[in-house]
Amino acid sequence: MADIALNEKLAAMLSRAGIGDKKAFAELYDATKSKLFAVALRIVRERHLAEEVLQDSFVNIWNNAAGYATAKSAPMTWMTAIVRNRSLDLVRRPRLELQDEEEFFTLNLEDESLGPQDQLIQSRDKSRVEHCMKGLDGEQLQSVSLAFFQGLSHSEVAEHLGRPLGTIKTHIRRGLLRLKGCLES
Amino acid sequence: MKLNNPELISRLASEYVLGTLRGGARRRFVQMMQHDAALREAVATWEAHLTPLAERLKPIAPPKRVWNNIESRINSGTPARATQPRAHVTAETPETGGFWSNLTFWRGLGLAGTSLAAVLLAFTLRTSPVANTEPMMLAVLEDQGEARMIVEQPKSGYLMVKMVKPWVGGEDKSMELWVLPKDGAPRSLGLLNDIGDTKLAKPDMDIRLTDGTVFALSKEPRGGSPTGAPTGMVLCKGVIARMPAKNTTARAGQGQV
Repeated sequence: MADIALNEKLAAMLSRAGIGDKKAFAELYDATKSKLFAVALRIVRERHLAEEVLQDSFVNIWNNAAGYATAKSAPMTWMTAIVRNRSLDLVRRPRLELQDEEEFFTLNLEDESLGPQDQLIQSRDKSRVEHCMKGLDGEQLQSVSLAFFQGLSHSEVAEHLGRPLGTIKTHIRRGLLRLKGCLES
Repeated sequence: MKLNNPELISRLASEYVLGTLRGGARRRFVQMMQHDAALREAVATWEAHLTPLAERLKPIAPPKRVWNNIESRINSGTPARATQPRAHVTAETPETGGFWSNLTFWRGLGLAGTSLAAVLLAFTLRTSPVANTEPMMLAVLEDQGEARMIVEQPKSGYLMVKMVKPWVGGEDKSMELWVLPKDGAPRSLGLLNDIGDTKLAKPDMDIRLTDGTVFALSKEPRGGSPTGAPTGMVLCKGVIARMPAKNTTARAGQGQV
């Protein structure tokens, strides 16, 4: 599998960065920056904040690259988690104004213009979770997607969908349970 | 507090990874995660489950300045903590209070503490039993403008940490002192005694203690950070002020205290 080869490449870049190899770190940045910037931008919404997230995250990745070896996750998953967590730290949302929400609900996100390099980065786990997402009910899928991609809180999802907070909490809880059942089956 | 209910653990972990665990609940969860392998395991599982979804987003190229900033932040010749592997860095890494992760802020502390440092220097000099023991280096560590601790280097061999205003309670925790080189990751200088002053070995030669280098004290699990990097709350922090030449400025300043 090509993505396994790429994951190995990313892991190698990470471990070289861990011993202070700045060239490897620069390659790692180039290979992943656009994916990770998109992740940050979806959540924090403002470009300057997304830039800050990316900067903080990569400084963090540099500082912790040596420890990656003991993380059990794929390199892209490890780095994406760092970017998502930093985004959720910094997010401030003056008003709810969501973009492209339709595409999230239909999971029609694939970028046709992806270059071979980007396509290689796509994780083999992706199709699995997408398959399972499609098994969610409409409002469950909407709620989980808004939370995951746009970084909305329970109450923001509730406000956005015009549903009571308790309903949204239930949607998300049940949606995640169903995902778990599907993913671990 | 430790969670024993696997369903609750999985649910909290799932909402943490999804992002709906927010604010105080998120911070508490991150703290619990540092002491709870089952929570870390559950988070890793959920990250492996959900995070690949994010890879489906259309890539958006960040501007060049982002890399320039990253490069200038890491550029110093300090290797990335090659000698301090972290046990687990999956999720808590950027989460340690938002403070440890914002190293620019740290390094931007600049000379804010300098005037206070001079006052305290005068104080230490006056109370010093031997007048001729001026430290080579001194940093006053503050919390919200209040001096809590002094780190000084009496001679090149070791560092002396003196409590100005000790903390009470927290017997189940250790206080760990960190140095933040101008670039590069925080490095542990060791744990402080629960009571009284602490003598610490001087850090490795590759860390130069110069003006503007930041010290910080964090609260860690008993026995020190499990990861080799700071994980806990920052108790106080301060920058190094180099000593003025002997018997000159510092002495002159003493009269004003």
